[in-house]
Amino acid sequence: MVRLKDRYLLVNIVYTDLPPGQKGSVPDLLLYNQPTIGELRPQTILKGIRSQVNALFGDCGSGSVERSLQVKYLSTATSTFILRISRAHYRLVWAALTFMDRLPVKDGRPCIFRVVRVSGTIRKVEEEAIRRAKLLVLAAKDEMAGKASSSDALNALFRGGKDSARNLALVNDDHDDAEINEGEISDG
Amino acid sequence: MDNNQKQAASGKAAADSRKRKEAPSSAVTGFKNLHQQGRESRPPARPQKRVKFQDARNIRSQPPDAALDGEGKLDLQKFLNAREFEIKALETSMQKCKTANATRVFQQVPREMRRRTASHNAKRVPKRLRDRAKREMLEDNTPTVEARKRRPRTTRARIRAENAKRLEKLAAKKKKRALEGENKDKPGKTTIHTRAPRPKIRRDTLNEPPKSKSKFNKRQVNKTWLPTHLWHAKRATMTEPTKPLWRFAIPMTPTQKSYRPTHRASGQKGTIFWDTSYMSTARIYGTARCIELVLKALGLTQASIWGNRGRKWRAGTRTWSGMVSRQQGNSRRDVGPATILWNPSPTDETAATESNTTEEKKTQRQVLIRTHPSCFLELFDELVKLAKLQTPQVHVEDLRFEVGSIELTGPGSTETLLAVLQPYHTEERHGQVFSSLIGVTNPASLPKDAVLGFSVKDPRLSYPPKRVDTTSKVSDPALLDTLTQWPVEEQVKPYGLFDRHVRFKASNLPPQKSINRRKGANIPGQEIQVTAADPPIPVIVFASRPAAGGQAQGTWTLMAPWKCILPIWYSIVHYPLSTGGNPRLGGLNEQRQIAFEQGTAWFPGDFLGTNAGVVWEMEQRTQRKKAWDRRPKGKRIEWASLDLGAGRKGEIGDGLACDFEHLFGLPKVPSPSSSSGDRSTLDVDPNAMDVDPREEAEAASKLGKPHKNTLPSLATVEQMKKTEFNALVSSADLASRPPPRSIISVNIRFVTRGVANACARIYRLPSRPSATTTVPSSEAEVPATDPVAAGVGSLPADLRDQWLQKLPSQRNGSKSFKTKTHAAPHMPRDVDHGTRKQLMAKSLLSGDPLPYPRPSAANQTDIGGGAHPLCPGEEDLIGFVTAGAYSLGEGKGTAVGAISAEKAFDTLKESGGIKEGRLCIVRNAGESVGWLARWELV
Repeated sequence: MVRLKDRYLLVNIVYTDLPPGQKGSVPDLLLYNQPTIGELRPQTILKGIRSQVNALFGDCGSGSVERSLQVKYLSTATSTFILRISRAHYRLVWAALTFMDRLPVKDGRPCIFRVVRVSGTIRKVEEEAIRRAKLLVLAAKDEMAGKASSSDALNALFRGGKDSARNLALVNDDHDDAEINEGEISDG
Repeated sequence: MDNNQKQAASGKAAADSRKRKEAPSSAVTGFKNLHQQGRESRPPARPQKRVKFQDARNIRSQPPDAALDGEGKLDLQKFLNAREFEIKALETSMQKCKTANATRVFQQVPREMRRRTASHNAKRVPKRLRDRAKREMLEDNTPTVEARKRRPRTTRARIRAENAKRLEKLAAKKKKRALEGENKDKPGKTTIHTRAPRPKIRRDTLNEPPKSKSKFNKRQVNKTWLPTHLWHAKRATMTEPTKPLWRFAIPMTPTQKSYRPTHRASGQKGTIFWDTSYMSTARIYGTARCIELVLKALGLTQASIWGNRGRKWRAGTRTWSGMVSRQQGNSRRDVGPATILWNPSPTDETAATESNTTEEKKTQRQVLIRTHPSCFLELFDELVKLAKLQTPQVHVEDLRFEVGSIELTGPGSTETLLAVLQPYHTEERHGQVFSSLIGVTNPASLPKDAVLGFSVKDPRLSYPPKRVDTTSKVSDPALLDTLTQWPVEEQVKPYGLFDRHVRFKASNLPPQKSINRRKGANIPGQEIQVTAADPPIPVIVFASRPAAGGQAQGTWTLMAPWKCILPIWYSIVHYPLSTGGNPRLGGLNEQRQIAFEQGTAWFPGDFLGTNAGVVWEMEQRTQRKKAWDRRPKGKRIEWASLDLGAGRKGEIGDGLACDFEHLFGLPKVPSPSSSSGDRSTLDVDPNAMDVDPREEAEAASKLGKPHKNTLPSLATVEQMKKTEFNALVSSADLASRPPPRSIISVNIRFVTRGVANACARIYRLPSRPSATTTVPSSEAEVPATDPVAAGVGSLPADLRDQWLQKLPSQRNGSKSFKTKTHAAPHMPRDVDHGTRKQLMAKSLLSGDPLPYPRPSAANQTDIGGGAHPLCPGEEDLIGFVTAGAYSLGEGKGTAVGAISAEKAFDTLKESGGIKEGRLCIVRNAGESVGWLARWELV
C-alpha cells in the first residue's frame, strides 16, 4: 500500500498597521499579533491560496495543490492557522503564502503570512504553536509589568526559534528536498 | 441521529430479524440482563466511531472578539487570555488524538503475552489497560459472554449446570449449619492436627504416581501431570489428552512461535529451560561392592571409571553419563542414556585415603540413576533382576514422583540459577562454590560432569528474583581458580536429596498464603527472613557438556524434590536476565532442535538400536501414515509411481519409515505404516524369513514388558558404539567385522545444497564397476541425462565419478563434464528475426533433436544448472535420516541419522580413504534427486 505523505504548515498572520477603530498607540506586541476579522473562514483562506498559486504557477500548479490542500485549524483570535498539503507540493503553497500581502477577504487589510513551521506530523506543528504561544504569553506579561521594549516584541515574534542562525542555515539548503531537515524548519 | 430514524422506519421488521447490532424494540425485552440491554440500545458502532474520530481531530478555536476588549480595541489582558486558550485547545487536541487511536488495547500488549479471548474479556489484559479495554468494548459493541452465565447448550452441559446449582444449595446449607454449630460450642472447640502423610516408597517395586487433587483426578487417569502442568497447559502445546507420552502430559512446544528464538536463546543470548520432571530416577542402595557389580552388569565396564580416574565419581562429586545396556543372550543391548551419581559417604575423608580397601567395599553406599522415562521400565526391571542376584542384596527404589528436575541451557542459565538458588546454610562447601560461579556464561566451562549438592532457601522468600550483578565478576581470577581447582572434595557431606526424610520435610513448604502474609508484614522490597517454618530444600545441580564438544553450550540440570519444583519454576520464569528478557520456555521439540543443532543424537528419536527408539519410530510411522492418509489423493506422494531414473520405479522400502527392515531384510510386521501403494516392499525377500529371528527377541517378548507386548522385528537391530566402530575400522584384522544387523548413529552435513527430512535415504557412493562387469564403452559414453539410455535399466558406469565431480573442490573438472551433456539449446538474446529463423531451421534439421517428451524424472537438466547425477541403486542404500532440517547454526542442511555399520565398514575399507568413504548421497523419501553429503560418527 502506498502511504499518503503530507506536510503540515503552521502559519501566522502578522499585521503592521493599526486596526481601523483603534486610536492612540499600542504596544508593538499587540500591534504585530492582532486578531483577524471573523470573515476569514477556512474556505476563504483556501480560495486565496489557490488563486495565488494559480497566478504564480498556472493551472498546473493550482491543479496539483487543489486536491490535498486543507485547513486543519484556524484561530482568528490568535491569527494562526495550520494547513495540510501533500508533501510534493508544499513549496508551491509556501511560495503563494509569501506572495500574499493582504487578507483574502473583501477589502482585506495588508498583512504577512508567515510560515513558521513545516512538519510531517500535525503533532509537532501543534507543539510548535504551543511553544510560540507560551513565548508570547511571557512577552505579554513582561509588557504588563512595564519592562518591555519594542525589540522584545520583535524577539517574541521572530526569534521564536531557539537559535535562529541554525534554522536559517537549514532553510538555505532545504532546496534539495531533504525530508529530514523539513521537520526542523522554523522561523522561515 | 439519522440512525435512529432509520430504525424507526424499518420498524418491527428489524426487531424480528434480530440482528445483534440492531437495538431491540420494546416488544423484545425478554432479556434479563440489564447490561446487555443497555448495550444493545446504543447506536451502531461504525458511524459512532467516525463521529468520535472527527471530534477527536477537531481543534477548538475562538472568534476574534475574544482577543479584543468590549469596544473592539486591542487589549493586553484579552491578548493573554486568547493565547492561553489556544495553548489549552492544542494540548487537549493532542491528548484526544492520542487516546482516540484506531488500535484496541489488547493489540498493544507485548508479543510474549497471552491474549486468549482478550478481545472479548477485559480481564485478560494487564490491569493498567483494563479500564480502557472496558470502554472500548462498550464503544465497539463487542459481544461479551460470561461463561458462568451462558445458557447451557448440550445435554451434558445442562446436567452439569443443574448439578452445580444443586451443589451450590447444598454447600450453602452446610455452611449455614456449620456456622450455627460454631456459635453453639465455641469455647470447647478443639482441633486435631495430624501429620501430613509421608509418601510410601517400596523397595524393588514401582512407585505409585502422586495423588492428585480430586478436582483434577479425572484428567490424570492414564497419565501424570508434571508439577508445572497448569502453568504449561496455558502456554504450550501439550501431548494430546488421550495420547500421553510415556504416561506423562508433556509440553511439546510453546504456543508462541519459537524456532529461531530457541536457537538464539540456546547459543547466543538468554536461556531456555524445561521442566524435565518426567525424567525418571531410581535409587540403589547396598554395599559398595554389590552396587559396583550391579553397575558393571549395566555396562559400566570401562576400567577407567573403577580405577583411580573414577575416584571422584565414586566419591560423589562427579556424575557419569552414558548409555547403559543389558545382557541379551550372547550380546548386549542398549537400554538408554543414564546419569549415575554416587551419594558421598559420611566418612569419605578416611575412605579416600585408603581407597580400594575392603573397608570401603563393605560400606553402605547409595547410587542415583536418572534416565529417560521411555526406557525406565526396562532399566528398572533389569535393575531389580540384578539387585536380587547380589549377596548381600542390593535394593532399588523408584523415585519417579519423588524427585523432579529442571534443565536450563544457554549463556544466561548459570545466572538464572544463581539468582533462584540461594544456599540455606552459608557454611556448606558446595553452596559456597555454587555461589562463586557468578560470571560463568557456559555450563560446559565447569569441570566435566561436575556436581554440587546443597540445600537452598525457599525461592518464594526472595520472590521476585533479583538480577545478579555479573558485570563486576567477569574475568575474575578467583572464578578461574574455582573452575580449575573445583574445591568440592573436602568436607563433602551426603546429599540431602537421597534422604527421604529430608525430601519429605522440604515437600511441606509453607503455603503461599502464609508467605504472602509475612511479605505483607514486611517493608516493601525487603526479603522475608528464614524461620524455622521454612525447611531447607535439598537440591543437586550438575552441569553436562554436549556430546559434540567444542564451543556448544552445556546444560544445567537441577534436581529437587517433586513438590519443590513449582516454587523454583516460578522464580526461574520471572528472572530478569542481565541481557534482557526472561528465560524462554522450551518443550520437547525444542530439546530435539537443540540436540539437532549441536549435531548430537536425541533420545529416543535417534536411537533406533534401543527398544525405546523402536517404539518411538513405530509411533512416528503411524503418525506419518495418518497424515498421509488425510491428504487428498492428488496431493500426496504416490510411492509406487516415483521415478528414480534408469528405469527404476517406486520408493525403496516404505516411504513413511526409516525402513531398516527393508535394509536388513527383516520380516515386516503388517504395521499400519505400510502403504498400500508400496507393494514391492511388502513381498519381502523370501530368504529373509529363513533368517532365524534372534532368540533374544523372543526372550524379550516372553518377558512381557508392560509397555510393549510384542516388539517389531526392528528391535533386533543393534546399536553400535562409536568407539567400537572406530576400533574395528582402524584394526588390521581382516576377519573382524561389525555384527550383521548393527547400526551406527551419524551426523550428516550436506556438501553444497540440499535439506533432508526425516526418513530420507542415505546412499554410499556407488562403486566403480570391476573389469568383468564393465558395460560396453559405447553405452558408458551416454550421459546420465539421456532418458533413452537410462531407460534400459542400468545405471551409468561412471556414476561414482559423476558424483565426485559434484564436490566443490573439483569444480574445474565438472565443467568439462557439463559440456558433454545435452542441455536444451537456448535461443541467444538480441537476435533479429532472420537469424532466429535460421537458428530454428538449423536446430530442426540437425540430427540431434530434443527428446520428446521431455525427461521428467530424476536428473532434469536444470537441477543445479547442469546435469545432476542419478541416485545410486538400492544395493548402495546404507541407512536413513531420523531428523533433518536446515540448521541455523551451520547455515546449511544437516541431519542426524543411522547407517548400517557393516556397509559403512565396507565402504571405508574399500574406498581406502576416509575422505571418499565418508561421502554419501542423501535423498528425501518420495523425491528423486539426491544431494552429496558427508557423514561423521556421533
